[in-house]
Amino acid sequence: MINKIENSDLTAAKAANLAIIDFSAQWCGPCKMLAPIFDELSEELEGKAEFFGADVDQNPDAAREFGVMSIPNIVLLKNGELVNRQVGFVPKEILKTMIEEFTD
Amino acid sequence: MMNKADIAVIGTGPAGVSAAITAVQRGKSVLLFGSAQLSAKISRAEKISNYPGLPDVPGTELAAAFKKHLRSAEINITEDKITNIYDMGGKFALQGASSEMYEAAALIIAVGVVPSKPYPGEKELLGMGVSYCATCDAMLHKGRAVAVIADSPDEENEVKFLAEVCERVWYFPLYKDKPSFAAENIKVLDDIPTQIRQKSLSERTLVTNKGEYDVSCVFILRRAIAADTLLPQLKTDNGHITVNRFMKTNVKGCFACGDITGRPYQYIKAAGEGNIAALSAVEFLDAK
Repeated sequence: MINKIENSDLTAAKAANLAIIDFSAQWCGPCKMLAPIFDELSEELEGKAEFFGADVDQNPDAAREFGVMSIPNIVLLKNGELVNRQVGFVPKEILKTMIEEFTD
Repeated sequence: MMNKADIAVIGTGPAGVSAAITAVQRGKSVLLFGSAQLSAKISRAEKISNYPGLPDVPGTELAAAFKKHLRSAEINITEDKITNIYDMGGKFALQGASSEMYEAAALIIAVGVVPSKPYPGEKELLGMGVSYCATCDAMLHKGRAVAVIADSPDEENEVKFLAEVCERVWYFPLYKDKPSFAAENIKVLDDIPTQIRQKSLSERTLVTNKGEYDVSCVFILRRAIAADTLLPQLKTDNGHITVNRFMKTNVKGCFACGDITGRPYQYIKAAGEGNIAALSAVEFLDAK
């Protein structure tokens, strides 16, 4: 399941043990390709990480806080701290490996 | 709009044109990316003296003949600049500067070479305040100042687009005949950019021979994107893609031809390599 971030409210993401935030937008082609992959990973890694989606047009402050300068932009937060980031589209297996590096 | 094909050919010089023609003749669907006017390197040649059958052909005539040949083979050119390629294992996903995505089972890279070295800081900050795609990233810099470095007047529309979204655009054209714009928030400068530095999470400093500019993003719009930026796992040597004599690269299903594979930079060598690359790509697809 993907939790939708609204009003730039990152409270839940920062409180999570491991949070994966997908910054995207409606007008972004690569974001649309990444969306189903992100969906699948949220199912496969359920219980190991919490998945969030943030539309940059709706959440400009959140995007700014994490220095999102290009999308798609996937940010990994461990106990609220930024531990890794993926800018641009990425194949599923690579993204999965990136996340699993930080699961308990 | 067709966004999927058997083979994606990137580049409309002699190599890309030749590869597309051969691939279509062998019954494959092709997406050919480049300029409808073909590579400027063809039409700019005063004359080409060693192309068999066409002695001393002016570049403009060769370009016209190529266009005619493409038309008769019913090959359309997709006018989008590919900025990123992703190996999806079994297929390739290509991202255009228009923000459109394309898919192909095999890939032929024929992008040519444009002598340009990345600026210090460019590669490190790519995606973090350095961008090759105005359409993709402009909205993330809404209301802020940006810098644009471009090597061709073709990019001036992107500059206008950025000016509609951003507060200010510092424009650094690297070509002769500096343009002027109606929009007051575009400032055209003749500085020579030298370096890009990270200032903070939200700001970059573009250093030039005359000064420093603090901006949200530096857009670098070049006619050609370095091969190892397009597809990072590609093996390259001094800016050239490493290929064997079948034009195979180290990435499965990816072939390269023309100037990007190395010297000699000759039209007929590029066309010949395009033919080999297409035949190899067809063989690869048929073996799947």
